[in-house]
Amino acid sequence: MRKQLNKEVAVFKSRMNRKRALIADTFCLTKRRRCAADSVTGESQADIRSSLQYLVTLFSRKLFNDSLPPVVLKHQLYSLHNDKTSVDKQVVRSDCNKCSTWDSVQSHFIIITLMHSEALVFSFPRQNELRETGELLMFQLGFDSEAFALVFAEDYRAKVLQGEAGRGTLGTVEKFLTKLIPSCSDLSFNKEKMLKEFLFTDSEITQLVKSGVLTVRDAGSWWLSIPNSGKFIKYFIKGRKAVLGMVKKSKYGEILQTELEGRRTTSQVKFQMKYHIHDIIGAELVECIQTTSGTLLRYVDGNVN
Amino acid sequence: MLSFLYARQSGLDDPVRLRRAESTRRVLSLELNHNRDVDRIHGNGINTLDIEVIDGRYMLSGGSDGVIVIYDLENNSKKPQYTCKAICTVGRSSRHVHKFSVETVQWYPHDTGMFVSSSFDKTMKVWDTETLKPAEEFQFDGNVYCHHMSPVARKHSLVAALLYSVLAVGTKDPKVQLCDLKSGSRIHILQGHRGEILSVRWSPRYDHILATASTDSRVHIWDVRRASGSLFTLDQHNGDKSKTSSEAVNTAHNGRVNGLCFTADGLHLLTTGTDDRMRLWNSATGENTLVNYGKVVNESRKGLKFTVSRGCSPEFVFVPCGSSVAVYGLHSGELITMLRGHYNNVDCCEFHPDYQELYSGGKDCNILAWVPVLRQPDIEDEETNSKRGGTHAAINPAFEDAWSSDED
Repeated sequence: MRKQLNKEVAVFKSRMNRKRALIADTFCLTKRRRCAADSVTGESQADIRSSLQYLVTLFSRKLFNDSLPPVVLKHQLYSLHNDKTSVDKQVVRSDCNKCSTWDSVQSHFIIITLMHSEALVFSFPRQNELRETGELLMFQLGFDSEAFALVFAEDYRAKVLQGEAGRGTLGTVEKFLTKLIPSCSDLSFNKEKMLKEFLFTDSEITQLVKSGVLTVRDAGSWWLSIPNSGKFIKYFIKGRKAVLGMVKKSKYGEILQTELEGRRTTSQVKFQMKYHIHDIIGAELVECIQTTSGTLLRYVDGNVN
Repeated sequence: MLSFLYARQSGLDDPVRLRRAESTRRVLSLELNHNRDVDRIHGNGINTLDIEVIDGRYMLSGGSDGVIVIYDLENNSKKPQYTCKAICTVGRSSRHVHKFSVETVQWYPHDTGMFVSSSFDKTMKVWDTETLKPAEEFQFDGNVYCHHMSPVARKHSLVAALLYSVLAVGTKDPKVQLCDLKSGSRIHILQGHRGEILSVRWSPRYDHILATASTDSRVHIWDVRRASGSLFTLDQHNGDKSKTSSEAVNTAHNGRVNGLCFTADGLHLLTTGTDDRMRLWNSATGENTLVNYGKVVNESRKGLKFTVSRGCSPEFVFVPCGSSVAVYGLHSGELITMLRGHYNNVDCCEFHPDYQELYSGGKDCNILAWVPVLRQPDIEDEETNSKRGGTHAAINPAFEDAWSSDED
């Protein structure tokens, strides 16, 4: 094994390491059986939450005069975690009873080895999605059908009520939030749902739209939205375009990530550079290549942005 | 590896475990091998490849110039350096050759005496392999994008052909035509799509289930025994209507769906679309398993032919992405590697399950064979071999080092 490593080049090595890890997995089954104590679900969920908190710190609150809760995009998590499917499963509600893939089975079971080396296998229904427990809210931003924004529920509630303070619509909005946050994880609502399930009247719905909590999607249906988020989307799209332009204009269309982080941002880029970098990596607008001098970001042709 | 052999020998493990582990190891080490070559016959891009199921010996290829070639993949020479020869071709000089590009070819699933090809010249021909003359020809009014014969069917021998036909009044009416090979007639038509249908596949598990994919972003699953419409359509949001805008409700992709592939056991279905996404579906319920493969670059205007490995665990998907072939883990969604070697866009790829080899063809008129790398011997073995003048893996005499001295 060691001898083969000596013969390989660094870039080739990274590829082979991933493959070798998979080969090792396939062949070393006995090891996996014995050291099974790490529970996959508990660890990864804590990871997702800590990544979300890290990304929240990158969000510039002062830019919006503190009127917006910190917004993180779902694909920014992909740049921090390798396994997109598990990130999706943690964040997006999926019906665990129907999924039959082996991967979902793996995250179901926690194997506990007891004192006498017996193994008990427990099956847990997936209760730990952040959205199902009401901690996280997801929004459809509108500029891209695949870009979803994530906001912590307490932040959202605090900012919305803060924005509504003193207005007549405060009561309706508060009622909506109390109904929404603990249980619901939909991105949009249609009329029957609002009238029957939530028991809102038409005038109350108009008030909600006026306050910015709902945006019109179609005749008779509304997206859940963040009030005052128009400015956010505008700055975000401009900033993303500017950062991508920086990568594209570099020599050979590629730049080291550390160099990009150190570059001076133009007036177009209002957010922190790292926030945008996580965004373009996660949305796969640039290709991430591991080199001996760090991560290289190469512009991918064929981008619409 | 030794532990696997011992476990099999002592009965601790099922024999199929060793086979699966070794197949997986071989697929993970796929590489371009300078010893293996495929004859270059096509003058224009290669659209489709098919390896026959019975022996895995003969491969069909269809090109944009209408030419169909049959290759022999087996290496009967005792040398490792081998070129897969073209045994016979239906070339431009043949009277029965297709006039325009051949879009799909497929061997008859039960023996190699027959194969079916369909092309943009609005015909589908059933060829006799011995004489290379069409035994049957089906004429259609529209371009045939794709056809497929069921690999498991015993009771019926239906070929599903996809058409995009223009009726006399000018309305475009895409339909799936089922043709019977035994009687040579058309049996019935499946209607329900609103855009050109780019891909069709029979399920390898049930001989009456058919999946079709079209440019209207929908994938329909049909039961051909029923008289009414499709069984269900695949919905990328699993019925959660709140996630999308209202026009995109009940679609499989946010763009054209141009590739379909069932897994070997028929339990899952993979679809690729021009929204640069690949999705894995449960083929019984139509549920999106939400495995995230990331951005699977897809700019193909026609159907994309991709394939899934067989006999490995975990299974792998081989998708042509631009000018390389991307290998993804089927259920984990992670990108294992990109197989680079073609000079231009890759259009089709085919997996040989017995040898775990991948053949891919594209616009550069080359068919490349990706062969698993043999295990490297340890350095101690190499030294003892060279001392004895040993004979392992032929070194091409041109690459032998006969000039450098040890004194430097």
